[in-house]
Amino acid sequence: MVILLKPVSLVWLVLMLATCVTTWWLSKDAFSPVAAAVSIFLIAGFKVRLVLLHFMELRHAPLPWRLVFEAWVLISTAAVLGIYLQSPAA
Amino acid sequence: MTELISANHVESRRLPGVEGVWVFIAADMAMFGVLFVSFMLERLENPALFEQSRRALDVNFGGINTLILLTSSWFVCLAVDAAKRDQLPQVPHHLAAAFVCGLAFCASKAFEYTKKLSAGISMLTNDFYMFYYTLTGMHFMHVVAGCVVLGVLWNKSRAGAFTSDNRVGIECGASYWHMVDVLWIVLFPLLYLLR
Amino acid sequence: MKPETFPTDYGMWRLFARCGPIFMATFFFMWGVLAGNLPPAGAYLDAAQIKAHYIDNGMAITIGMSISMVGGAFYMAWGCAVSQVMRRIEGPDGMLSSIEMMGATITCAPVIIACGIWLTASIEAPALQPEIVHMLYWLGWMIIDLAYMVTTFQIFAVSIVFLRDTREKPLVPAWVNWWGFVTCAAFFPVSLIPFFKTGPFAFQGAFNFWIAFFTWYIWVTAVSIYVIKAVGRLQIEDGAATGSEAAHRSAVLAARTA
Repeated sequence: MVILLKPVSLVWLVLMLATCVTTWWLSKDAFSPVAAAVSIFLIAGFKVRLVLLHFMELRHAPLPWRLVFEAWVLISTAAVLGIYLQSPAA
Repeated sequence: MTELISANHVESRRLPGVEGVWVFIAADMAMFGVLFVSFMLERLENPALFEQSRRALDVNFGGINTLILLTSSWFVCLAVDAAKRDQLPQVPHHLAAAFVCGLAFCASKAFEYTKKLSAGISMLTNDFYMFYYTLTGMHFMHVVAGCVVLGVLWNKSRAGAFTSDNRVGIECGASYWHMVDVLWIVLFPLLYLLR
Repeated sequence: MKPETFPTDYGMWRLFARCGPIFMATFFFMWGVLAGNLPPAGAYLDAAQIKAHYIDNGMAITIGMSISMVGGAFYMAWGCAVSQVMRRIEGPDGMLSSIEMMGATITCAPVIIACGIWLTASIEAPALQPEIVHMLYWLGWMIIDLAYMVTTFQIFAVSIVFLRDTREKPLVPAWVNWWGFVTCAAFFPVSLIPFFKTGPFAFQGAFNFWIAFFTWYIWVTAVSIYVIKAVGRLQIEDGAATGSEAAHRSAVLAARTA
């Protein structure tokens, strides 16, 4: 089980757990729509960063490239949540 | 053999694969980003319709698909790692596993679409479903293309094409595949979970 | 690579390479700005509204579209210049170079025909039933948009060949060719245009107008810049290869532009 000791495997485990949390727990009606939306999307952003930095090795990429993708995460998450919070249900 | 070699062994900063693939990845992600915003703006116009339509989606399909893609990305990482360490026999094994995951995603998606279509829900039903079908459809085509890429990489790796000195090809394919994963990580909550 | 027995007309080559920017400028200003396609009148507009659009903007559209019909041909000339540069990499009988030339040439057809249809609409609109004007409007859009695959083949061919350039400093940098692939990808959702009158996939939509057209504009511009430079570089390479009288001058030039 050398494979499971690799850092990418730890990242994968975290990603899988985060997915379960958002899909089958945070989406439940027990959480208010706003609380659910914000937490789910912040977690999604966190997951995307994990994949970008560790799977796609952007941690070791030239800084401008890394910043482009960090910006994408920031803008996407902010845009989705920002627009979401404008809606009456929120 | 069991040392935890992290990617920190690289001395200087580098992009995996070739820069051109990253231009493609950045542009592709930007395009989907525009569509995410488009979806949200449309949703703002008609939140009740969007919520009602969303409820017909099966969260389990979406969640499981996310787990499948994350696992496929993990296998791709292991394949690239094996190439870096010149563990040549491992490379095709991990790529094959990733490919199988990709196929599983495709099968799951096909099943989900079929269920929706037989219930009479198409991309013309309403604006929510327009976004549902086009966004997941465009993503699905990326997955199919990705499976082709994985298949080609698998074939080449069986001949030992990818080594620590020659991993540009596998890194390019891997980067593309991870992008497909990243897009789904956002698409799934956007369409399926946002109440 | 040595030039063949026949002398290469670098001046004419450069002229045709410049047809790319000429096409872009003409199309952008005459079709886009003057004829009111930035963004276009929407697919959701009804017959009366489209007729009103043509009545209100008749002369501007007439002028814009008639010039665009002439301008369309410059894309073909440009395509030939690009093809000639591609042949220096692929070989004189290059298949991809041929497909590129055909793709560029055939791309003129949807552009010219659609503009001809819209031109007719602008002239005839006052005398036509609104439904007919509406139909002409849609006819133009379906033709100019849905024929994208011809251009896709052109872009694909260019990108592949220029990525195979083995020069230390390629004639066309890799990122431009990868942008070509981006453009090809951006074209596929255009197939959704017949089905949507609103939203990002309608012909005026965020994706199928703004992204699809502008990725292509960026590609044409970028390839034009490098192809125009490439003619100059090839001229120097040819001069050095033949050891002609101009070789010394070429070498000096090369040193200066390196």
